[in-house]
Amino acid sequence: MSVSPLIALFPEASFGAALNCVGIAQKLRQMGATPVFICHPGFTGVFAEYGFKEYHLAPTAKRSTDAIEDYWQGFITTHLPHFDLDPMAQLPTYVAPTWQAIVNTVVAAEDGLAALFDRIRPDAILLDNVIMFPAVANAGCPWVRVVSCAETEIPDPDVPPYLSGLPADDRIGRERFEKAYLRETRAAHRRYNAFRKTHGLAQLPAGHFLESSPVLNLLLAPSATRFPRRNPLPEDRFVYLEGCVREETRFDAPHMPVDHARLVYMSFGSLGSIDTDLIGRMIDVFATLPARFLVNVGGFLEAYSRVPDNVYLGSWFPQPSVVAESDLFIHHGGNNSFCEALYHGVPSLVMPYCWDGHDNAQRMDELDLGRHLHRSRWSPDALRSTLVTLLEDTAMRDRLAAVSRGMKAEPGTERAARAVMDALGHR
Amino acid sequence: MKETRRSTRQNHLALGQQILTIAMERRMRRGDHLPEQTFSEACGVSRTPIRSAFKLLEQNEILTWREEEGYFLAIGSSDELADAVQKLEDLENSLAQRILADRAERRIGDVQSVRGLMTRYDASRNSVLIALKVLSRDGVVTQMPGQAWVFQPILDSPNAIDESLSFRLTLEPQAILAPGISVDLKRAGLLRAQMADLLDTPEGTMSAARFHRIDTDFHSFIAECSGNRFVRGALLAHHRLRRTTQKDTSIPDFRLRQSLQEHLDILDSVESAQYELAADQMILHLRRSRIRRPEAANRGTPPLMRALRA
Repeated sequence: MSVSPLIALFPEASFGAALNCVGIAQKLRQMGATPVFICHPGFTGVFAEYGFKEYHLAPTAKRSTDAIEDYWQGFITTHLPHFDLDPMAQLPTYVAPTWQAIVNTVVAAEDGLAALFDRIRPDAILLDNVIMFPAVANAGCPWVRVVSCAETEIPDPDVPPYLSGLPADDRIGRERFEKAYLRETRAAHRRYNAFRKTHGLAQLPAGHFLESSPVLNLLLAPSATRFPRRNPLPEDRFVYLEGCVREETRFDAPHMPVDHARLVYMSFGSLGSIDTDLIGRMIDVFATLPARFLVNVGGFLEAYSRVPDNVYLGSWFPQPSVVAESDLFIHHGGNNSFCEALYHGVPSLVMPYCWDGHDNAQRMDELDLGRHLHRSRWSPDALRSTLVTLLEDTAMRDRLAAVSRGMKAEPGTERAARAVMDALGHR
Repeated sequence: MKETRRSTRQNHLALGQQILTIAMERRMRRGDHLPEQTFSEACGVSRTPIRSAFKLLEQNEILTWREEEGYFLAIGSSDELADAVQKLEDLENSLAQRILADRAERRIGDVQSVRGLMTRYDASRNSVLIALKVLSRDGVVTQMPGQAWVFQPILDSPNAIDESLSFRLTLEPQAILAPGISVDLKRAGLLRAQMADLLDTPEGTMSAARFHRIDTDFHSFIAECSGNRFVRGALLAHHRLRRTTQKDTSIPDFRLRQSLQEHLDILDSVESAQYELAADQMILHLRRSRIRRPEAANRGTPPLMRALRA
């Protein structure tokens, strides 16, 4: 193996995984490794801006920009109503078609990915995804699984089912959800297992799309929120991380025409920003509160006008740096947002849309480290009152300060990079 | 004459903010000395305006002055320095700038009446008209028949910034290649010193606002060097618009530094009269700056690269 191991990071095509991997790659670079990124179409330059070499997967189908826009218009029309449903009702409407789409991306990427690994010949691959790509398993080098969703992604009888949003002790709910999950994911799972077989990979049990790595698995699960497991994960292969908060550019809060001391940051991720009507309703409530609000509206800035004096809209924020300056963080329960809020000791109002956002919202609420609110079923008074309560909850802030101290004492990015280097024999 | 005095004061206020930002980046503390020469080089201006800005900071109790020793920081923590920058920003905020900032942040619509602006800013008709005149001089607003004033496109969204970069990719290399380019070596040296100073800041502490100021200074300088007066005029007006309305606080530290290094490489090439190389370097620089993140991404779906049509 080379002196400076070449480590190929392969995050899924979402910002959460991509930026989580940036945090690990920053530390790997400091430890003398050479991290490079395997980049999905559309993410060109995202990693280069942080100083990392990129290798690009070719687009799997020639789609014009207009065709992709039409696809997203359709996605919004179809799925916006589904985001209001509870996790059980989302299984047939959102989760099942999403798994089908994920399997499609794996099938389509396989040949290009195998060719890329053949060209790069990495010493190790970090896979941050929810599904295995046969090219990763067959690349001839160790691979590391990064579990950047909620901890529920790794099942256990004492951990609530993945994507369920259930509390750990709801036995009846658990049984119902698991049964429905297996039923709704069956078609995608069958197709995926057949695909695995053609590439020499073992079959996975029903409901599973990704095996654990025989070498190293990294879980972004802060100790303050971790579930006690009936079957503890083997310590030699599973390393828990206190989040994975990357180093970001400095953030200077923008000047606003008002002078309120409190700063609230809101981001529902790039997916959540598609619901411009909902964000508009929230902004109307923000306008009535004595605080400054930074609102991430993603690519939909042009959908807004008449922004109140205490609100600042941006299409992108260096989130970890902004959260560090905030008094409250309103988010969708994405695991990066969940961990960043805890890392900086900032209370969360979690308004989940889908996927593991439900699990994180439930966990945050049951541990009294934040509040869970349905993303759209609230009255202006109820939202206002929730925000004020969270801003004034000094006991919660004290609990969060202790969590933050613990997480900062052992930064997840550093622990992850060290575990990878150790696994590769670079101590 | 009155207007000149006001604009000189605005410049000193802006310079004062720049000085304090540098002091923050260098982690200076209460009682630290601020040498004129050092700040003159860091800000890319001569010592005379630095002295005036120091004086203004002294009047605002941010610096103290000791005879035969110079100026010293009278405030200590980074919070106090940040508050002082804010205080200067408030002083600097003329009505025209407040109107422009509100438009850039979508607080006001693109069509405005004088009366509407008088109400919003609690200002006299005369003040509003002066502010609109200042903005129209820079091509930011245009008076329509009647009482309405219309804002021109500004750099207030990713799509607008993308169009700006497309425009610049067409014109900035041509500004260098047009016959008759003339490079002011002294100013180039000052810019170089300013960028080197910014590159010296510790990782993760570079101010996006200071980068933006130096970035627009650099690109305006290249425009001013051009031998083609129309290219020069169009680019200078555009960079003025960028300076006042473009806000991008999201560029990672690595890219900010890479961008400054690209500026230095372009300066090297224009100073040594390698104009074709400089034009190619400018294309590379702008193409790298034009990289866009997906507007929306989700597992299993192709990323959305352009904001959806309304």
